[in-house]
This record gives sequence, structure tokens and C-alpha cells, in this order.
Amino acid sequence: MNLRLVLTVLAKELRETLRDRRTLFMMIVIPTLLYPGLMVVLEQMTLFGQRRLSEKPAAVAVRGADPALAAFLRRDTAIRLLPAESASVAAVRRRHAEAAIVVGASPTPLAASVPAAGGGTDSVRVLYDPSYERSQRAHDVAAQALRAWNDSLLARRLSARGLPADFARPLALADSSVATAQETGAYALGRFLPVLLILMTLLGAFYPAIDLAAGEKERGTLETLLTAPVPAGEIVAGKFAAVALIGMAAAAANLLSMLLTFQSGVFKFAKAAHVQFTLPWSTALLVLVGLVPLAVLFSALFLGIAVRSQSFKEAQNALTPVQLASTLPILVTMLPGIEFNAALAAVPVVGIAMMFRELMGGSARLVPSLVAFGTTILYAGLALHFAARAFGREDVLFGGGASTVAAGGWRGRMRAWRAGPRRVPLPAEAFVFVAGIALLYFHAGAALQARFGERGLLYSEWGLLFVPAIALALIGPFDARRTLALRWPTARGLAGALLVALGGIPLGWALGWAQVQALHLEMPREMVGALQKLVTASDLPRFLWLLLLVAVTPAFCEEAVFRGVLFQSLAREQRMWRTVALTALVFGAFHLSGETAIRFLPTAWIGVLMGIVVWRTRSIFASMLMHFVNNGMAVVVVSLPALRGLVLSDLGEPNWLLVAAAPLALAAGLWLLPPHTPLPDDVVAEPDSREAAEEAGRVEEVR
Amino acid sequence: MIEFDRLSKRYGDLLAVRELSLTVPGGEVYALLGANGAGKTTALRCLATLLRPTSGAARIAGFDAAREPLEVRRRLGFLAASMGLYQRLTARELLRYFARLNGMEDEVAAPRVEEMVRAFGLGEFADRLCGKLSTGQRQRVSIARAVVHDPPALVLDEPTLGLDVLSSESIFRFIAEARERGRAVIFSTHQMSEVELLADRVGIIAGGRLVAEGTVGGIVAGAGEQNLARAFLRIVREAA
Repeated sequence: MNLRLVLTVLAKELRETLRDRRTLFMMIVIPTLLYPGLMVVLEQMTLFGQRRLSEKPAAVAVRGADPALAAFLRRDTAIRLLPAESASVAAVRRRHAEAAIVVGASPTPLAASVPAAGGGTDSVRVLYDPSYERSQRAHDVAAQALRAWNDSLLARRLSARGLPADFARPLALADSSVATAQETGAYALGRFLPVLLILMTLLGAFYPAIDLAAGEKERGTLETLLTAPVPAGEIVAGKFAAVALIGMAAAAANLLSMLLTFQSGVFKFAKAAHVQFTLPWSTALLVLVGLVPLAVLFSALFLGIAVRSQSFKEAQNALTPVQLASTLPILVTMLPGIEFNAALAAVPVVGIAMMFRELMGGSARLVPSLVAFGTTILYAGLALHFAARAFGREDVLFGGGASTVAAGGWRGRMRAWRAGPRRVPLPAEAFVFVAGIALLYFHAGAALQARFGERGLLYSEWGLLFVPAIALALIGPFDARRTLALRWPTARGLAGALLVALGGIPLGWALGWAQVQALHLEMPREMVGALQKLVTASDLPRFLWLLLLVAVTPAFCEEAVFRGVLFQSLAREQRMWRTVALTALVFGAFHLSGETAIRFLPTAWIGVLMGIVVWRTRSIFASMLMHFVNNGMAVVVVSLPALRGLVLSDLGEPNWLLVAAAPLALAAGLWLLPPHTPLPDDVVAEPDSREAAEEAGRVEEVR
Repeated sequence: MIEFDRLSKRYGDLLAVRELSLTVPGGEVYALLGANGAGKTTALRCLATLLRPTSGAARIAGFDAAREPLEVRRRLGFLAASMGLYQRLTARELLRYFARLNGMEDEVAAPRVEEMVRAFGLGEFADRLCGKLSTGQRQRVSIARAVVHDPPALVLDEPTLGLDVLSSESIFRFIAEARERGRAVIFSTHQMSEVELLADRVGIIAGGRLVAEGTVGGIVAGAGEQNLARAFLRIVREAA
């Protein structure tokens, strides 16, 4: 790589970006003005609100109180007593009274004349509306007054019996925090600062990435740039470095501004609560170091997506969901009880956010921190690869070249869609289809299952998965047999698929068990119970019904969607691993809705195996067999306790002998599978020639 | 100097360029004439290394645009209708940027940029941001940018599109000067007057194919028409 060229591109991009008011606004103006301004405004607003709340006495109605209590309350200047008629739920709800004190009948009522000497307890209820601020305050004021009255009554009772005042107070409780004000502040900072910092890094990289990629395309300058004798790699590196630096600078400016704001003492609440917001320079430096791979990740990801868009607006639309998807997971850091372990550290963005939380809290464990740092660098590298590839592709830089826009509204578009015959759906069409039926399954399927129980599951699988998949293949401008891979496998292929399933299933169990151990996860007991009940057969008819429901039905319905429509659409580009992995990921994700996150890995694993088998046999029937065996085995194992003991322990630990033998079956199955054979009208990709594949893909599309 | 050798380019079902073959030696101006969508831009983009030909080759000075793109780009000055100017760079900064991208060291780039500023009369606005320049000024900066590295071949894709007469005139002058300096120039257009004024030879492209080639006079005579516009219409209709 020619560093001089990279630096030339970088310097130019930085120069241009720094002359862009929008970026400067995001980088400098927002952090330097927003935080001090926001803090002051927030504090003033809060103080103003509190003053407004406390400047008028709370309107409290009282019913059933003895005259002494009523007199006591009347003397309290924070309370304005309302008549007893207003001491009702309806009055408080209508806000005629802000709160109401209702003194109920006591088993041993207090005599009005001898309150101090009498005994017993009167029940007192304070009615209030927590959705109304003045009512909340009235509740607090009333409760405080009642506590004071309670204390004075108690003191008089004790005195009447000649007992000392501390007789009824054997323990004098007092909280004493051992944390210093700085430590408390650091803990609080660690809860929200990482979220803010990551958000600002992300926002800092957002506009420059769009401007340097899609914006440059829209203005026609990218075409000129690409005719200069500079390899695409140097251009990407320069642009990416500029975006990453801007993202980091934005984050650093935000960090600095926030710290200075906190340390300026303007935040009086913190002082009052004995909290000091401060961050040692060493921690700030470590945080900045952690921001580097994160900024790299965001920059490369945004750049790679933005360059695939034809205009600034299109890039904004494409990046907004990515931005949301990157932001939401970091909210995990604000949740209580989340522990920073190696598994969580490997989750993109979340790992670094958790590391920041720990660092700001005073100490970050070394191993998870290294995992977070290392995996983020890995993800950043992958994202960079994704961005670099886009710059070298003409279809990305100049569009498809033959796109047509259908006129005439939805009907026209529908006609145009059907007029372009292709053997299988385009990947975008397949993804839209799967997303649509996943949503349908999530909402309508849940409703069906709630209403009809097990039969609802049957209806939703056939009605919401199978029927739409078949309808798409038949109604769309596709070859239905190709779209659904309706091709009989050879006996050898079928035997291979069976062996792959038999080898893969115990490995899937082991994977699930290892995952639970590594992440210290536990399946909710109710869920385990419900799942076991679902697949446990007590008699033969029930066993057959369960096989139909749990094994046969998903084998047909889910396979039609996943190894049919989705897999075949992705397979048109003839890239096996991408096709297999993407389908397996979507297949795994689909199973998140009904069960738990624990199911993702084992399901995706089976998805990978089924993908390989379909790739090699080109037959959906092979994966249907595997799906049936996988799910059917669960019914068989759970229904037959004797067999279950041989396969899984009570704690779900797999029989390790079976697991050890599984790779042999898997290898034998893979060996038996036929090699992937292109069909006569397949796209044939030359090695290292993606463009040829794409060109051929377009030719195929036209046939 | 510039050579297309049976070059074809396909976009899906559309064969944008079919078996295009032509050569433009140094000191010659070649006009690629065609209607919208005829394949002119696709052919020139293949030559400028922006697109990969589906088959055949485009070469500059013997270097293949698909296999040796960097060598081709070193010898190529590319100018498109969009001008390709960075709005937030000054004209001088832009020229310096492209000089550096073309491999010039600072001590070489600086005097070369000043030379361009003088040659194209950019002095008055050389330190103004490109986004603030008038169309004519932008056009001059754009031309200076295309030749800052003194390329022997020029590829101009509809260079006068959207320009007024005065701005177009500066392009005409630039092309004429390039010919005098021995550069090979190929430009695409659908303006007959430009072709008559500038081109030594003309290639008419229709449906991606080169359907006629020769001097302006030769094409007009060959079609049996009175002027290039009529000849063009006849040739294109017959080719359809």
C-alpha cells in the first residue's frame, strides 16, 4: 500500500470535512455547547419545577381522623386540608384533591380523649395518583406528617406507661456509604457515559461516511477520482481513516466537554448527593484507546454501506437502521445485574461499552477487556474488507446499468416485477419475503397458537410459512421447481443427508450445552416444562400427533421458506459459504421469536448442516429429511425415558460418547454426499472473478 | 495511442457496447457520436478503467485498461459532464491534490499547478472554493485538473453538456490545443456542430455498435445527405 497516496487522500478528506458546517456542528458545537447548556437548563428546569410544586401547600382531604390528628394536620403549613367528602378515590382521580388520608376503623379504636394512653393501631390509607406530580408530592407531604404524628403518639404512650422514649426503638439504623464521592460518581458515570460516548462516536462518523462515499458519487467526483492512478485500496484507506479520525475526534470532544461540565461544579445536585463526577486521566486515555477500534468499526461499516448507495439521501435511509441496530445493544450496559464476561465482551459494540463501564467504575477485568478489544478489531477488519470490496466494484459505483423504473403505481410495479422472469428470486426479494412472513408469524402465529394451542402451531406453520412460500414460487416470475429445489436426491445423497443429521445432532446438543455453561445461562423452568410437555408423548396417538406437529410440519414448512426460497435465491451467485451461513443465521434468528436466545446457536448449526446438504444434493427433500430427524429425535428421546437417559443427563449434558462418535458419522455423511453439480442453466463463477459471476447472474436473470 | 479492440460491455440483458473497434492516433481528435443510451459513455468508461469490458479490450499507449489500469490512468486525462470538482476545495488545492494523486512530488507539483493556473487563466479565483465558482470558471478548473499530469490521451465524455456558448468555446479551444500538442483526443457528444468544428474523424454509435466511421465529409457523402445531422439520422435509422 502506498502510504503517501493514502495520506494525500486522508489530508484532502479532512480538509474538506472540516470545511463542512454540518460535520463541524456535530463535532465541535454540539459537544462544547450542548452539555454545559443542557446541564444548566436541566438543573434550572428541575429546580423551577420543584419550586412550583412546593410553593403551594398540598391539597389533602381527610376522612375518619380524630380531631387531634386533624388539628395536627391543619397546623402543617405544607398541607391545605380539604373536607372529608373529597377523601375518596373518585375525588383524587378527578384531581379535586391531590391526596386523601382515610383513617379506617380499628379493631381497638382509639378514644379521642386518650390517644396517648390508649393502645391499638388505626389503619390509615393515603390515596394518591402516581401519574400526577402534584399528587405524588401531596402523598409525600401527607406521609411525612403522618409519620410525625405516629412518632408523637408513640412517645406519649410510652411516657404514659413510664417508659423511656427509646423503648420502642431497639435499633438505631443509619446507612453509611463506604464509597467516596468520586467512586459513587464513577459508578454513575459508568452507567450512562459509555452509551453517550459510543453514540457520539457513531454520530461523528455518520455524516462524513455518507459525504465521502455516497455524496462524492452524487456530485460526480468519485468518477474523476477513480480515473487517477490510485488503487482503490488507497482511496478506501484514506477515506476510511478520515471518517474514523472524525468519529474519534467527535467522541473525544464529547468526552472532554462532559468531564469539564461535570467538574465545573455547575451540577449542584451531584454535590448535594455527595457525588463527584470525575474521571482520572489514565481512565480517559484507556477509554480513548478503546474508542479507536470502535470508530474504525463504525467508519468502515458506514462507508461500506454508504458507497453502495447512489445518493446522500439513499445512504441516509440505508444507514439509519444500521445506526439503530448499533445503538440499541449498548443499552445493555445500563441494565443492572449484567456481568462483563468474555462472551458478552465478544458481542460487537456491547463488549467495548461494557469495558468502558468497568473502566469508569474503577476497574476493568483484563481478559474480557482484551476479548472486547480484540474482537472489535476483528469486526473492524471485516467491516473494512466489506467497504474496500465495494470500491472495486463497478455495479456498486455506477449502479446496475440496466435498471428500469416501473411507472403506474403498484399495479405497474407488479406488472414490471412479473415481466422480468428469473429462475429464482433475487436475494433482496427473498429477504423481504422472509422478513414479511417472520413478522406475520410473530403476530398472527402467536395469536393462532394462543387461541388454538397445538393446533394453532400447525395452522401457523402451514398457513403462514408453507402457503406463502409456495404462493411466491408459483405466482412470482420464477421457476417454482428451482425456487423450492424440488429435485429428487439420489439414494446415496439421501443416505449422506441422514448420516450428516445423525452426526450433527449430538454435536448440536454439545454446542447448546457448552453455550449454557460458558454464558452461565439457564433456560427458564416454565419454558423447559412447556417444551418438554409439548414433545412428550404418553401414548401412540399422541406420539404420532407430536411427530406430525413437531417433526413433519416444520420439515415441510420451514424448509420451503429457508432452504427453498431464501437458500435458492442466495445460491444464484454460486457462493457456497455465504449462502449457507446467511441462511443458517436467518434460520437461527427465526427461532428466537418463539423460544429463547439459547436456541440460536444449535438451530443455526443444524441450519449450516442442512445448507451444506442442500448445496451438494440440490434437493430440498434431503434437508426435509434432516429437519424431520432432528425434531423427531427430540420427540422420541423425551417420550422414552430409557432412551433419554442414554442420550442426555437430567441437567441436559449430552452423552459424551455419542458426541465423540458424532464427527465420524458427520464425516461419513459428507463423504457420501454428491459434489455440487451446476445445473445446465446455472451461473458459473470463475474463481476470483466476482464480476463474471455477477455478469452471468444478470444474463441468467434475463433468460 | 487510443485503441478499442472488439470491446463489448453487457449489463444484464442489455448489450451496451458490441464489438467496438477503433483507434485514435496522437494528434487526432475523434468524435463518438450517438443518441442517448447508444453506448458512448459505457465505451469511454471502459477506456477510462471505470468499467471492465465483458470481452475485448480498450488500450491507451498499448496498456490494457482492464489489466493495467494504473498505467492507463497515468496516461489519461478524463473529463465528464459532471466536471468532478470538490466543492469545498479551492481551485489551487484541487489541482495540487490531483497532481499528488498522479504521483508528482511537492517540488514538482507546486510549479506545475502554478503553470496550470496561468495557462487556464485561473489566477483570479484560484483560491476560491470550487463550490463558489461560476459554471465557466468551474469548467476551466475542470480542464486544468484533467491535464495537470500532462497526459498523452484525453477522454472527454460529453464535455459541453449543460454549458453556454462561452463555456463551450473554452472546451473547443482546449481540444484544438490538445491536438496541436500531439495528444490523442476522443470525445462523445450528440452535438453535430461540435463534431463538424473539431473532429478529424467521427464514429457513429447506435445500439452499442459502431455503424459508421470516417471524416465528417466522408460520412456525409457516404450517406448521400447534405449535412452531418441528416447523415447521422439516416445512418442511425438504417442501423435500427
